[in-house]
Amino acid sequence: MKISGTSQLSADREAVWRALNDPAVLVRAIPGCSRLESIGDDAYKMTVAAGVGAIKGVYDGEVRLHDQQEPGSFRMHAQGAGAPGTIGAGVLVTLEAVAEGGTELTYDADATVGGMIGGVGQRMLTGVSKKMAAEFFGNVDALLSGSGLVGVPDEGSAPGGAVYTAPAAAPPSHPTGFVMGVAVGAVAALAGALVGGWLSRRRT
Amino acid sequence: MTTKMFGQPIRRTEDPRLVTGNGRYLDDLGHDALEVAFVRSPHAHARLTDIDVTGALDVEGLVAIYTHEDLEAEDIAGMAEPLPMLIPHPTLTHGRTQCALARTEVNYVGEAIAMVVATDRYIAEDAAERISVVYELLPAVVGVEAARAAEHLVHDDVPGNVAARMVQQTGDADAAVDGAPHSLGLDLAIERSASMPMEGKGVLAKWDSDDSSLLVHTSTQTSTSVRQAIAAKLGLPVDRVEVVTPDVGGGFGVKIMHPWPEEVLVPWAAIRLGRPVKWTEDRREHFVSSAHERGQLHQVRVGYDDEGHLLGLSVRFWHDNGAYTPYGLIVPIITSTQLLGPYKPGVYRVEFASLYTNTVIVTPYRGAGRPQGCFVMERVMDAIAADLGLDRTLVRERNFIQPGEMPYEQGLVFQDGRQLTYDSGDFPASLAKLKTLVGWDDFPAFREQAQAEGRTVGIGLACYVEGTGVGPYEGGHIRVENDGTVVVSTGLTSQGQGHQTMLAQIVADELGMPMDRIRVTTGDTRRFKYAVGTFASRTAVMSGSAMALTARKVREKALRIAADALEASVDDLEIVDGQVRIKGAPASRIDMGTVAVLSNPLRYAFDEAARRATQFAPAADPTKPPVAAGDAPGLEATDFYSPTQSTFANGMHAVVVEIDRDTCDIKILRYCVVHDCGTIINPMIVEGQIHGGVAQGVGGALYERMEYAEDGQLLNASFMDFLMPYASEVPTVEIDHLQTPSPLNPLGVKGAGEAGVIPGSAAIASAIEDALGLTIRRMPISPSELFHLRLTSAESAGPVETLRKVRS
Amino acid sequence: MATETLVHVSFHVNGTLHELELPARRLLSDALRHDLKLTGTHVGCEHGVCGACTVLVDRAPVRSCLVFAVSLEGARITTVEGCCTDGGDMGPVQQAFQDCHALQCGFCTPGFITTITAYLAQNADPTAEEAREAISGNLCRCTGYQNIVAAVQRAAALRKATDRTRRDPSGEVSTGSTTGVES
Repeated sequence: MKISGTSQLSADREAVWRALNDPAVLVRAIPGCSRLESIGDDAYKMTVAAGVGAIKGVYDGEVRLHDQQEPGSFRMHAQGAGAPGTIGAGVLVTLEAVAEGGTELTYDADATVGGMIGGVGQRMLTGVSKKMAAEFFGNVDALLSGSGLVGVPDEGSAPGGAVYTAPAAAPPSHPTGFVMGVAVGAVAALAGALVGGWLSRRRT
Repeated sequence: MTTKMFGQPIRRTEDPRLVTGNGRYLDDLGHDALEVAFVRSPHAHARLTDIDVTGALDVEGLVAIYTHEDLEAEDIAGMAEPLPMLIPHPTLTHGRTQCALARTEVNYVGEAIAMVVATDRYIAEDAAERISVVYELLPAVVGVEAARAAEHLVHDDVPGNVAARMVQQTGDADAAVDGAPHSLGLDLAIERSASMPMEGKGVLAKWDSDDSSLLVHTSTQTSTSVRQAIAAKLGLPVDRVEVVTPDVGGGFGVKIMHPWPEEVLVPWAAIRLGRPVKWTEDRREHFVSSAHERGQLHQVRVGYDDEGHLLGLSVRFWHDNGAYTPYGLIVPIITSTQLLGPYKPGVYRVEFASLYTNTVIVTPYRGAGRPQGCFVMERVMDAIAADLGLDRTLVRERNFIQPGEMPYEQGLVFQDGRQLTYDSGDFPASLAKLKTLVGWDDFPAFREQAQAEGRTVGIGLACYVEGTGVGPYEGGHIRVENDGTVVVSTGLTSQGQGHQTMLAQIVADELGMPMDRIRVTTGDTRRFKYAVGTFASRTAVMSGSAMALTARKVREKALRIAADALEASVDDLEIVDGQVRIKGAPASRIDMGTVAVLSNPLRYAFDEAARRATQFAPAADPTKPPVAAGDAPGLEATDFYSPTQSTFANGMHAVVVEIDRDTCDIKILRYCVVHDCGTIINPMIVEGQIHGGVAQGVGGALYERMEYAEDGQLLNASFMDFLMPYASEVPTVEIDHLQTPSPLNPLGVKGAGEAGVIPGSAAIASAIEDALGLTIRRMPISPSELFHLRLTSAESAGPVETLRKVRS
Repeated sequence: MATETLVHVSFHVNGTLHELELPARRLLSDALRHDLKLTGTHVGCEHGVCGACTVLVDRAPVRSCLVFAVSLEGARITTVEGCCTDGGDMGPVQQAFQDCHALQCGFCTPGFITTITAYLAQNADPTAEEAREAISGNLCRCTGYQNIVAAVQRAAALRKATDRTRRDPSGEVSTGSTTGVES
């Protein structure tokens, strides 16, 4: 499944680049992300709550960043698994400086969806992905123009790497309860329908 | 002596459940299922440019949205392809069917584009409303004339909008017409109507992922065929799919069409989502995405002699088949052949073109093309009578096939692919009965008296023949249980015809069992897997005959086993009230339940019945196997009935109308029916079928028409504007029966399901013409149309137009 | 889109009190069928013409597809299930339907039964013409109405037979069924 889109951010390219590579930003900008744990260079484990309408659940995934060409582009590979299915995605993110200021961000994702999640229909998946990508980038933009964000590892973090958690007060990212974990749109497709709770009712 | 059930007006076993609100119709099931709504085309003809679902994504409770691309998943090859062409025909050179969800083009208002699944129907509709589709509008073709003119095409690759052209003839009919002493030409039209059952369609599907099996409930007339279609489309082994027909709130033909897009989409979604999924259509959906029928234009030429004998009949007609042709040419083929009615047409030629229009598809509606054919033939008869100044019944009598000429070959091929051969019927006797019933010969006096009172009245009649009990087969299965219960099943389905009662009556008589011990199941592929379906007035003939044959097998086995147990000869035994007993010595008897126990040599005494059975157990013969070669355990049997051809019922209706002199309001004063469906199994049920058919005939004659605008919008897609008769519009029906048994099946029965509707428009038109002395060439006719017709007829009188001569 | 606000409503159905939390737009027909699982009431058109959805609200026939459930606070509703006898047997109208073969597919039947139940409470002894008029607001596609007209009169006769042994103290004629229809 191919998903692509663009987003306009007000911060400059360098700031956007740094933000997207900063786990402390990601954990707060990715809708539904409650935990991000570093497991190596530019690699993270994530826990994200995701849902579509009435259907919600939690999934675990991994994100790896590579081919970084600061500040112009990077690639991201993501894998996620939850009760209703799996997703693998590769995303190319390119950042262009905008003459009047700000950044135009383009993402190009190639995703493979397996299991139940494939069941909701292509247009819904792509639609949801793009929506959440837009939300993610919007969050990044808001964070950049708000407090100067600095990543701070938790104290007493688990062995093996720093753990970042979203601020406790962070509400489910979307007021409708429509929550997706998205790393640059790639994992959005899966997240849209991963549902632990849903699956547990599957057999009724 | 047990009372015979056969032929009795036995109260229906279905009723107690249904009248107390304990029916199980499709929407009564699956309360926990996800529900479906469709995005349907609002345009009659358009290309799909884009489908944007973004607006729907926020809807709380949304589960899935599917479009055609989702059907293209590799694992299920059939889903993306068009739905099957159910009944191909060599002349159907340009048949087309739709895809379950539209791919690039839509061809009628109502065609399904996207399927929304949500936690309930309200939410599914909320989401569906928010999906926006971008269309490139194309010109719409609406109505036979526009289709024929073919200025625009429905399908780019179908020239002239012609799906098929077909000719059947017994000779050079046009020459016969030209050479006849008299001839007439008539242009006739019948407008579109529809079955319009009170319950729409619905599908509920459950996928069991443990054993990869699918259970589907659907409001259908053919569960066995839907099962095959679903298995084929979803790429599932047939034995992993079961289809159950629940209680169905009427079919009248529209539910014989299958698979509806929803019938494959709902199971498909259930498998993808791993949850039960249900869809029930609402009334508007039924109007714009089910099926219609009746729309035809006819051009007739008839040649006759001074006595009114038909010498040549040449019919050309144009059949509006809507946007696709999944049901093939059945309706126009039936029109072509059944048009002949009970008459000898002289040389006959019929040609039709089946035309595409950007409207809802056309599949059979009760009568299935016969009402149109009957309207044509009976208008011809009346026109001849008017031209020659003869009584209308006399002209008909002169052209009847006589009882002595049965079986009579018409020289045409019928809808079952077999020769059109009338097997039995006594048309003169039917007509005589009708004339007596309605008082035909006394009518002139009544008319005079009415005229003296300032009232305008008229009388009309119409005759028809109906090929019923179409093959290829139906079957029955009967098993007597250890407790004496009789479990009966047949594969075809029920939509209110009282099949369970009728079949129980047959089994009760053949097996000597009381009705209340008999339980009948219809339309459940788990119980009976080989069947065709309920249509063409075939249940009594097909399943009834099969059940009689099956019961006889069970009886034969029961007597054989009982004879052993009672140490008597089979000829000395009878079965009365569920007991096999020795004639003349009724104390020597054995309950059928006990016989059932004995039939199964696995004889553990696990209950009372088994224990008692051991008393009768003959000493086992150690040289013989407990179950003989060729035999089987159990008191049960299966049998099938498969006839060489249809069996022909017939009927004649007479109507007396009063026309208001000022408003042209049409009131039916009397409606008389003489009906011949061979042997009658349950007269109450048969009469109920006639009443219902007459109501639909009245509806079709006076009220029901689908109003399509030029751009293909259906203007009257609701009960507010599509008028069906209430009790105030339907007359009391007076019925007399004739029974000419069918020689083709063991019970002598013929079908009765469609009879009531077939001659309705013809008979009422005949009566209105008689009242007003003008010619009716189009049905339905409303009072205002009649008013206008009366005005214009007074102005223009031509040889064909005012044919009413002085009546005796 | 926010989750729909639920409105509290309580009403009696066939003598039983129900307290429900329903969206404001929930039709009474859907509430009866899907929230209360009383599926005897059927939906034929959802625009108030066919009458299959007819129930009695405070004894008057109402098209339940045209009423919002939440608008019926305190109402006493009778459905076809409530037209049975106490023991769950067929009441006089239902029995009359079976006797007269006044149903075929049975889909429209519940609407007729409630309509006729209410009618006979007002007019206990109708002529054939009055009977036909009384049922001329309900559509039936199967029976042609003839047998339904007969059933109205038969129901009237059956009611009379049971009524002779049962009149309530106020002197008001009961409908012949002892459950559901509130007197």
